Amino acid sequence: MIMAGENEYGKEGAAGRRKVGVYVCHCGGNISDHVDVGEVCRRIEKIPGVTSVQNNVFMCSDPGQELIMKDIRSGAADRVVVASCAPNLHEATFRNAISRAGGNPYIYEHANIREQVSWVHHGAAATEKAIRLIAAAAAKAERLEPLTPIRLEALRHATVVGGGIAGLKAAIDLAKRGVEVAIIETSPFLGGRAAQLDRLAPSGESAAQVISELAGRVLNHKSITVHTCARIRTYQGYIGNFRIGIGREAPGGSGEWNESGKKDKPAPARGEFVPFAGVYAGEVLEIPEEFSIDTGIILLATGFKPYEPRRGEYGYKEFEGVVTLPEFIKMLALAGRGGDTLEIGGRQIKSVAMIHCVGSRMIPGIHEEDENGRLNEYCSRTCCTATLQTATTIRKTWPRTNVFEFYRDIRTYGRGQEELYAEAARASVMFLRFDPEEPPVVGKSEDNDGYALYARVKDKLTFGEEILAPVDLVVLSAGMEPNDVSDMVAMMKLPVGADRFLQEVHPKLRPVELSVAGILLAGTCQAPMDTGEACAAASAAAVKASAVLSRGYVELDPFVAEVDGDKCRGTGACVQACLKEGALELVETLDGGEKALRAQVNAAFCIGCGACAAVCPEGAINVKGWTLNQYEAMLDAIVSDDLFEEERPHATAG
Amino acid sequence: MESGVKKFDALVLGGGIAGLEAALNLAELNFSVAVVEKDASIGGKMIRLSKVFPTLDCASCITTPKMAAAAHHNNITLFTYCDLVSLSRNGRGLRAQIRQKPRYVDADKCIGCRQCEYACPVYVSDPEQGDFAARKAVYIPFSNAIPQIALIDTQNCMLCGKCEKVCPTGAVDYLQAPQDFTIESKTAVIATGFDVTPVENKPLYGAGKIPNVITALQMERLLAPHGPYNRVLRPSDGKLPDSVAYIQCAGSRDQTTGIPYCSRVCCMYAIKQAMLLSGSLPLADITIYYIDIRAFGKGYEQFYQNAAAMGIQFVKAKPVIVGSGEGGGVVLRYEAQEDGGRIVTAEHDLVVLSLGLVPGRAPGERAAAPTGPDGFIAVPRPRTAPAVTEVEGVFVAGTACGPKDIVDTIAEAGAAAMEASNYLRE
Amino acid sequence: MNKTGKILILATESCAYPGANAVGQAHSSYPANTYILRVRAPVLFPERFYLECFEKGIWGVIIMSCGVECPYHGAYEALAKRMDRVFAMMKQRGLDTQRLRLTSICTVCTRSFLKEVQQMNEIITKLGPPGAERARAGIPGQNGVMASGG
Repeated sequence: MIMAGENEYGKEGAAGRRKVGVYVCHCGGNISDHVDVGEVCRRIEKIPGVTSVQNNVFMCSDPGQELIMKDIRSGAADRVVVASCAPNLHEATFRNAISRAGGNPYIYEHANIREQVSWVHHGAAATEKAIRLIAAAAAKAERLEPLTPIRLEALRHATVVGGGIAGLKAAIDLAKRGVEVAIIETSPFLGGRAAQLDRLAPSGESAAQVISELAGRVLNHKSITVHTCARIRTYQGYIGNFRIGIGREAPGGSGEWNESGKKDKPAPARGEFVPFAGVYAGEVLEIPEEFSIDTGIILLATGFKPYEPRRGEYGYKEFEGVVTLPEFIKMLALAGRGGDTLEIGGRQIKSVAMIHCVGSRMIPGIHEEDENGRLNEYCSRTCCTATLQTATTIRKTWPRTNVFEFYRDIRTYGRGQEELYAEAARASVMFLRFDPEEPPVVGKSEDNDGYALYARVKDKLTFGEEILAPVDLVVLSAGMEPNDVSDMVAMMKLPVGADRFLQEVHPKLRPVELSVAGILLAGTCQAPMDTGEACAAASAAAVKASAVLSRGYVELDPFVAEVDGDKCRGTGACVQACLKEGALELVETLDGGEKALRAQVNAAFCIGCGACAAVCPEGAINVKGWTLNQYEAMLDAIVSDDLFEEERPHATAG
Repeated sequence: MESGVKKFDALVLGGGIAGLEAALNLAELNFSVAVVEKDASIGGKMIRLSKVFPTLDCASCITTPKMAAAAHHNNITLFTYCDLVSLSRNGRGLRAQIRQKPRYVDADKCIGCRQCEYACPVYVSDPEQGDFAARKAVYIPFSNAIPQIALIDTQNCMLCGKCEKVCPTGAVDYLQAPQDFTIESKTAVIATGFDVTPVENKPLYGAGKIPNVITALQMERLLAPHGPYNRVLRPSDGKLPDSVAYIQCAGSRDQTTGIPYCSRVCCMYAIKQAMLLSGSLPLADITIYYIDIRAFGKGYEQFYQNAAAMGIQFVKAKPVIVGSGEGGGVVLRYEAQEDGGRIVTAEHDLVVLSLGLVPGRAPGERAAAPTGPDGFIAVPRPRTAPAVTEVEGVFVAGTACGPKDIVDTIAEAGAAAMEASNYLRE
Repeated sequence: MNKTGKILILATESCAYPGANAVGQAHSSYPANTYILRVRAPVLFPERFYLECFEKGIWGVIIMSCGVECPYHGAYEALAKRMDRVFAMMKQRGLDTQRLRLTSICTVCTRSFLKEVQQMNEIITKLGPPGAERARAGIPGQNGVMASGG
């Protein structure tokens, strides 16, 4: 019967074994009305290894804590058990008391005899259970080792991948906090997709102005370095200490000029906004170069690309006059103002059909998968408002151009968006609602009605009436797809969702963190969102990054796996069972002059789940502070009847 | 009584999920933070929910760790059951007048043991359980409240003295008075949250007088694992409902109630509740009457499609409540847009109003920064600085600046903390 | 002294352990033969730990996990697989597999907690001490004599 530590656990300490102090709380009657505290103390005193047993009306009070501190200071105890309420209430209180008395806070174990005993059990059974739980806690306490949190130095440097609105915002936030920032952008421009817009919905700010302002602050900040036409090629390290290899190429090679940029044009001035391209960041290379950056945090803001409709989808690339919303926004910005009717490329546009949910909200069995078997089942969130804004602009600028919107649900969820919807209705935008099973049909007009195309739908707003809208132009509200970052996903082992966007740690409470510590995400690489939402996410990611970088170190729980070098035989079972990439590996070491494989823990990666401890045939790996030995000792204490023997002289062996 | 000035780097108004997230972010940057909460517990609306969409995580399980983290953080001080009286400029910083409302229980002495609660002879309907269950006149707000400190509801207490007698620490203090104090801070984050639209405003929904018409927040309690009945029952007679209906936009997108905007979360919470209902009442018919289904967030559309595939009926209509049916049901009338526009009368055992969101009501808090025409805190640069208000050094997060879901609130709280920390550095 | 056998409950610190505390806060009584150990992730325990529990006189074991909400990614799945092996080993040893149960308990799942405890108590009352089922079935013990339990 193992009641307390045997010699293998009692190696330390002058007296040869640990001295456990046990402190039992009455909780002003909450415990002592149901648990006989006197009886508890009397029995606990019999445990070998327990050197001090005290009780107090309120252990959490100053006099109660003083009992612990006195024993620690005098050496009467070097391990501590408090038996009181649930640990979430006062475990921290008692650990602090130990620290204040000069002890290590991790030599503490809690016995929960209020919520799990006196409040749910009564009489002798409550007292017996309290004794067994305290004995178990004492058995664990005797096997506890002092621990120190793991501290990793963190470089005060952040790398932001992507120079779109989210990347720019995050870089500015971080730089303001005194962090050195590198922006890695694949194009020669800053501003990303937002720079390819005209007005930002729903509030109508000029995209050029917003992007110029942000990019201007980035380009003028001494702590921010912008690397354009650049990609991450290599990656190694962990939170606080990453090293990434960057490749920069001359534009026109595989590094492209963004949309309108052409190499034969004279380069724009640094900081100049090029419409529908972004702010030119200056200095493009003639010869490719490679270099590496040491950085503490990587913040991904890699953005989205618009869905490219298939040939023939609503007549796209089949009929002239079928365009996507991003294409149309550009046409509209270049179209001359004046006149009652919109004119594009010299052609009068008397009537426009705008079709929502193109490449979004696709339903298996109804919509066709792409060549890779993928279907965008998600809502792209921003297209309704963007479409309504465009429709309203047309109606207000060219009152003789009619607009039909073909929609499933109008999703003007955000502040100012419902107002935009009402404004569109007031501006006589005509709304037609369709079922996904019966989408609108776009065709070439066959009679000479003066319109090139038609869009026909069974309109649910008029109880299923078939309505045919003769139009000159069909605009497809194409959804968002995440940019292809498969190279980084493979390199950094990033989780990706079924929707192909990067997968955050928790979709409610941790939206800007990835499961790889030290890598954050912001903006549309995570999910469709508008510019304001992308900026909020960027700042949220920046504040998480700042918390790590401004301290200059990362402090991690000490509860990580630890290998006992004497026992490890290098079977590799732990490495196989490990749930966290990079946390465990087999390394070659010298054992008695001979080469041998041994497991090695990388504490920066270990999550302390203990999956390794369960599988080691030698019992050579354990989670610090939560070892299997400790649990086995607790189990033994719970089943043992030693403390009760005087009443049961003929008890069977437990 | 003026009891001294307390100084902090940052003041966070509101201890809901937005305020806690902002406070934790600031505290992690080593700034000292005061969180002022009007209720007796932190946790806000989120801790009162059953589960959250689209993950169907237990709300308590993911909120309590945040609450505990804030409560235990060395850089955060919680001031619960406190009202903001005023917020004024103090040089570059701010000065907040705070009133600690009396709990009639000494917060330093109370150990949360609930002996008072067991001794109290007065039963009062418990709004924390949707008024479907009772609590005592002296009580701890709810099981996972932080702090676990009792308070006396003086409206209902009959001063029998039983709580005072049983209290093991002598914490009951019937003579406690409000205490005024001042917090001086360099910056502030407004995270004062929302209330739901008052049902009394809308005669078309029975103005709260027709039995078995409940609010979605009440349904949250019916669905919560620690709710009043441990199952979903019809409040009037305890019947297991065979048919449950949701009326969407009950109080939003409605000029007649003065709330033209979309409340942004009601579609998803209704779908979530419908999914949970179909689990607990597998045979019940569940109908959602809607104008547009706005499942716009990450994973939301897929959640909606799953709900439809599970057999939840989505009917495009805006019904009115006509009255009670013979068996205690609720009678609705609507134009069936998808059925030739005929007028349909339908009866459901239980009707849930998907009420909208309006700004939290505390007047001092509302005065902390200018509001927009919708009553929420105005944000002059929503595209690039969504957490910056019109007042220098004052930032905003969560539903204080417009309806939003939890994940958007979390991002915005991070943004508010980032802006505030940069303001502190300037 | 308690005559019925003991139930060991491994409760995860992020879900089930606070769930058990919520039962306490509600002062909902349940049998005192239940011993709750706080664990980070039950994936820590090897197959033999469960067998040892029964050998040492625990009559029933309930693993109260976080289920799929487990904060350690992949741990719940690994645990579920291990359970299959433990059940197989229990069968080999003539132990009724109902003595071991894997379940998920959330922080406010007080009623589920009480139900699990009640059900396990019914099972162990019916089965008796570990090994009794083997004796009934006439299977000789493989690992020595099973203890009768406290």
